[in-house]
Amino acid sequence: MKQLSEILKEVAFGSLSSGEAEMVIGWQKGPFWWQSFPAFITDPGGTGSLIWDPFSVSNLSKYLLKEVPEKKIALFLKGCDALGFNQMLRDGRVDREKVLLFGIPCDGLVDPARVEAAGLSKGLLQVKKEQEELIFYYKKGQRKAPARDFYYAKCLSCRYPNPVIYDQMLGEAVPCQPVERFADVSKLETTPLEERFSYWSRHFSRCIRCFACRNVCPACSCRECIFDLAEPRWLGKANELSETQFYHITRAYHVAGRCVDCGECARICPVGIPLAELNRKFIKDINELYGEYDAGADLDKEAPLLTFKTDDPDVSSGS
Amino acid sequence: MPVNLKLQSFEPLIIAFCCNWCSYAGGDLAGTSRMTYPANVRVIRVPCSSRVSSNFILRAFQRGADGVVVAGCHPGDCHYTSGNYFARRRFLLLQRFLEFLGMEPERFQVHWISASEGNRFAAVMTETTDKIRALGPNRKLRDTR
Amino acid sequence: MKKIAKEKLALLWELLAHKATLYFPLQEDGAVNFAPWKNGAQVDFGVNSIVPPKNVFFPQAETYLRFKTGAKRLQLESVEPEEKFILFGVRPCDLASFNILDKIFLEEPTDGLYAKRRRLGTLVSMGCNEPGETCFCTSFALEPAFAPGADVMVWDMGEFLLWEPRSTKGEALTAVINELLDEAAPEETAAAVRLRDTTAAGEAAAARQRGWNTEGLQEALRGKFNDELWEKLYHRCLGCGICTYLCPTCHCFDIQDFSRDLEGERFSCWDSCMFAEFTLMTSGENPRPTQKERVRQRFLHKLLYFPSKFGLYACVGCGRCVRKCPVHLDITQVIKEAGGVVSGS
Ligand code: SF4
Ligand code: SF4
Ligand code: SF4
Ligand code: SF4
Ligand code: SF4
Ligand code: FES
Repeated sequence: MKQLSEILKEVAFGSLSSGEAEMVIGWQKGPFWWQSFPAFITDPGGTGSLIWDPFSVSNLSKYLLKEVPEKKIALFLKGCDALGFNQMLRDGRVDREKVLLFGIPCDGLVDPARVEAAGLSKGLLQVKKEQEELIFYYKKGQRKAPARDFYYAKCLSCRYPNPVIYDQMLGEAVPCQPVERFADVSKLETTPLEERFSYWSRHFSRCIRCFACRNVCPACSCRECIFDLAEPRWLGKANELSETQFYHITRAYHVAGRCVDCGECARICPVGIPLAELNRKFIKDINELYGEYDAGADLDKEAPLLTFKTDDPDVSSGS
Repeated sequence: MPVNLKLQSFEPLIIAFCCNWCSYAGGDLAGTSRMTYPANVRVIRVPCSSRVSSNFILRAFQRGADGVVVAGCHPGDCHYTSGNYFARRRFLLLQRFLEFLGMEPERFQVHWISASEGNRFAAVMTETTDKIRALGPNRKLRDTR
Repeated sequence: MKKIAKEKLALLWELLAHKATLYFPLQEDGAVNFAPWKNGAQVDFGVNSIVPPKNVFFPQAETYLRFKTGAKRLQLESVEPEEKFILFGVRPCDLASFNILDKIFLEEPTDGLYAKRRRLGTLVSMGCNEPGETCFCTSFALEPAFAPGADVMVWDMGEFLLWEPRSTKGEALTAVINELLDEAAPEETAAAVRLRDTTAAGEAAAARQRGWNTEGLQEALRGKFNDELWEKLYHRCLGCGICTYLCPTCHCFDIQDFSRDLEGERFSCWDSCMFAEFTLMTSGENPRPTQKERVRQRFLHKLLYFPSKFGLYACVGCGRCVRKCPVHLDITQVIKEAGGVVSGS
């Protein structure tokens, strides 16, 4: 069977040379083993530089907000990316007619931090995946280890490894074996209030307000973001815990019911704030209170915060 | 001043966002019927409970509120038919979220009070004030500057 | 040269903490950042901090003026740092970044708060025994295991730290802790010199292998304002603040007010050329309308404008942007693409 990375180059070439798409968004490789990043190709001749490897983690669909084609943009979607794409579609922020979607079944991608933590990064030149194993290549020799040990946290709890939307699927569906995603939230829910407060204060104090978590998020697609407004200035720029709290509460609340749990925000936070726990608190509560809902997947269901039932549970008066 | 003395004399500041059509009128009725409710409560009139954005609530806490109340028409009675049904979902989630972050759930409350419930308005505000007085000053989302 | 045995370090921290606020790379929830040391804090010299120590001199937000009205006239009160501090374990690259910040904040008009902090702080730099895979300080003529601007230079020699005071401030600090220090034997001192040489040579070899350096880069970039390079690079940028906020040499800031009732304060705070609002004018006009102009600004500032004005590159090769940019749009790619002379050619 042909390697996925080869098929990906072929379809990219095909869609550009046939003139169906005017741009392909895929991934390219940087000089380091862990560097795979979004690439924007308009010349069919450039498609040979596209890759698919265990680090092709960036969600390419968010770029559809910025890149406005005359014809179509072709792009690749993993399972989590497809959920994000659907949410952007639902929010009316992308035009389905203007995209050509290649689905990539993906059973997990590698977190470089885990490779480092395992002491495997020194002198590492390349990492490849073969079936369930990773092969680490060094100047002299190679090593093998079970791939799943190195996956991102978001991949371990992934429930939609096979894209739920695509025009063409580029591989065989992969099995799905997610770990329970609400475990951390449930644990926090049962810790004492004050402990929880200091837990979050500690994390929030580290936030540098770089807005990467917002900028990467497929559910954060407002044309004008409240955090950028100078007038009224809801969010100041001081290094003040209450402002950071405001940021985090508001960010998570604005994506409640729309967060597809793609895990991108938590993945790219440079200071390691467990943002997934915030998003998942909302998801968990929505599921419990208003019925199971998977943003980005349950397209036939009404979005939980855009609807109601007359017999919804009441807001307790807090006692 | 010793701390306990300070606490004894602590008077909470409570911001109440009241919908124009029911709860604000309920407050009016409480006033005109000469019912008393604590002066700790500062009422802000809004068109509908669903007009209240989380920004308002958080800003109130940042700038010194010890408690925030959103009050609207009883479910089913919203002047705009369904505003409070949406608000009910949103605020229940917000309340649970704030609690998840370590905030006492009593500090953010939602009540349904109709225009004819002047007595209920007074009772809710009195009870809320007592609860929050017992909790003491809120520091958790407060801007320290 | 002096030395201190590793088992005495806990005592050293205590002693120093008595004397001044002691900033260390501390590990919390897996993240290493400079913060004031407290008993029980987890000191970690193993990796460089996520946020560079520039925030000790140039905090993310800093109030410098308080104001009050209401009485007859406006009352103003300026706020100034008073606290002496020791910044311990700064890497040579980050230490060199202070030279770059100095150009901005110490030249006329001087930033009084920054200047005062520079006077109040004592800098203890720790040499790198083993540069990381993303380090490229040698590309900017820096040495991994030696920091010329340090008040005290220390090296981790396994069982002990070598300790070398290098300025009057450094001598003063050494005097305070003298009881904990021993005289280093000549062969131990020689070992430090060897360490300096081998790490520098190792890094230089690594740089040769990377195949690029910064020789002639400034010239190469002149005239590249309208180059296709920027078109090629910018698309993937998310416009976040990671690269600029985590860069030890980035120094752009904004001034804002915070007020309540009749009083308030004015503060300076980090800003980033990667944000769309950075150049947004009141009229709605934005001279850097897309991410392309912003990306170009970031790199040309560091590699062309700053060196043209001050004679040195505004990058110290710490590698933070290489590690942390979520889409790997880092300065080494620009250096390479813009055609810094390839070493060995
Ligand atoms: S990515 Fe992390 S540091 Fe940046 S704003 Fe989000 S939470 Fe804060
Ligand atoms: S909030 Fe985070 S997990 Fe949710 S959609 Fe946005 S980036 Fe993905
Ligand atoms: S770039 Fe790396 S090796 Fe060089 S001084 Fe900084 S941390 Fe040390
Ligand atoms: S270059 Fe990278 S870190 Fe910098 S703004 Fe762009 S995406 Fe963020
Ligand atoms: S540009 Fe990158 S490598 Fe250079 S000093 Fe800044 S963060 Fe470090
Ligand atoms: S008008 Fe009262 S709640 Fe909507």
